[in-house]
Amino acid sequence: MKTDGSAAPAEPSDLDLVQRIKSGQEDAFEQMVDRYHARVYSLSYGVLRNAEDAEEATQDTFLTLYRKIGTFDESKKFFSWFYRVALNQAYSRARRRRPASTVPIEDYLPRFSSDGHIASPELPDWSASIEDGAIARELAGRAGEFIADLPPAYRDVIWMYDVEEMSTSDIAETLEISIPALKSRLHRARLYVRQRLAEISQAPAQEEVSR
Amino acid sequence: MSDVTCKKFILDLLVDYEDGTMPAEERALFQQHMELCPPCLRFLTSYQATGKTLKLLKPEEIPPDLARSVLAFVRSRAGKKT
Ligand SMILES: [Zn+2]
Repeated sequence: MKTDGSAAPAEPSDLDLVQRIKSGQEDAFEQMVDRYHARVYSLSYGVLRNAEDAEEATQDTFLTLYRKIGTFDESKKFFSWFYRVALNQAYSRARRRRPASTVPIEDYLPRFSSDGHIASPELPDWSASIEDGAIARELAGRAGEFIADLPPAYRDVIWMYDVEEMSTSDIAETLEISIPALKSRLHRARLYVRQRLAEISQAPAQEEVSR
Repeated sequence: MSDVTCKKFILDLLVDYEDGTMPAEERALFQQHMELCPPCLRFLTSYQATGKTLKLLKPEEIPPDLARSVLAFVRSRAGKKT
């Protein structure tokens, strides 16, 4: 994260750029593209899993920025607004390929007996299989699809923390939630992904016979 | 703290253990439980593997011309409001 240096020929802040874009300065928009295209691409790629779609989603995201910047409330943090624009753009493109189905996250949380011990029939341990790079990438792709099925409140948190490796304070600020709320959502989202990965690892290769 | 169950470890404490914010004393208890409870240990291992797997969703590289193609795209469309 860039700190907000005071003097010197410092980088303009996001807000400076936003105001300059609103007043029609093209070079400010170019700077915004320079600053954020890699982040937008990276998150689009994670959602879409292919370079061409990710590039198109990135283009659409910046077009949306260009057209909608007038609606951005300058009392808010720019990046949190823009991040959501980007994420929504990527997910709506993904949905065109694969219809969305929001899952009840509770169905995938671990179960416990009345004395507090693990009650879910334990699935075979798949953790060791990720040492094989090809399997790990396959699982990552599936995990990405599972995340896409989550309600946005969970989806965005696990995405930012586990995929993008943003800090908890940056995420809390971006999503405007408290750190305890963030951690609770992150944890539930991970429990959900863990369970779904365990389930597909148990029943390998029945789908995807042909693409 | 003597009577902490698997449920509490997994539902309430695991996330603090993983991000390193768990106090040392609690951490020792947590680790002790993991050593003595194979189902929890398996759970922890697969929870950690989940985190590692997700990191692979990042792209390996950003297309070198991306910034330019974005600008060209926006310029070609910007006039046409839909
Ligand atoms: Zn246990």
